[in-house]
Amino acid sequence: MIKKFSLGIIAGFISGLFAAGGGMIVVPAFVHIFKLNEAEARATSVFAILPMVITSGLFYYNNNYVDWSIGIKCAIGGIIGGFIGSKLLKKLSDKVLKIIFIMFLIYVSIKMII
Amino acid sequence: MLEFFTGIISGTVSGTGMGGGTILILILSVFMGIDQHIAQATNLIFFVPTSITAIITTIKEKLINWKIGIPVAISGIIGAIFGAKISVNMDVNYLKKYFGIFLILITIYEIYSLVRQYIFDKKRHNKRKR
Repeated sequence: MIKKFSLGIIAGFISGLFAAGGGMIVVPAFVHIFKLNEAEARATSVFAILPMVITSGLFYYNNNYVDWSIGIKCAIGGIIGGFIGSKLLKKLSDKVLKIIFIMFLIYVSIKMII
Repeated sequence: MLEFFTGIISGTVSGTGMGGGTILILILSVFMGIDQHIAQATNLIFFVPTSITAIITTIKEKLINWKIGIPVAISGIIGAIFGAKISVNMDVNYLKKYFGIFLILITIYEIYSLVRQYIFDKKRHNKRKR
């Protein structure tokens, strides 16, 4: 129980602070610590993160950080992208995607810190 | 229009489970120059409809582990209150820097898991040996 609560607090804190990255903490923790398989870990993580996102969203909304025009355009694109992703996934190798993702992360994180 | 394409890219990546939200925020803030707080809030809006759809599907497929999911969700709300409170009051330049540091940690983990996967594939039967 302590493990579950500490994981929730840490993931919630990151979700609130950066509005992202909760899944990148929860999914590996579910797989390595709680021994869920990959599909269960992803499914359970989305369920667990939704309340964190709604909570954080209220704070951002109250501070006028929500821009509906950008948000709705992105969300519509996101729905289409989700569909493309589910088709494309079967064709692209996991490793290639991961390497592209890592290079992208290195580039932007340096850009953000400097 | 750019926002729309940003959504498509992030949505596509989200399906791979590799931080579609992180990519959304980064494109909006680093490449389009949108304020970091607004970029972050956009990801929160973005997440809700897509995740609700995903949750409905995974409930039907019985993939959600409630015993673990519910306590993590509840304690997550507490964590989120603290995180969001700090974030909304933080100077945007600091927030960007901390986000960058967080990304580096994520990158290190991703490289580690990639290498691990590589080794695991190579020496499957020697997994427990060190």
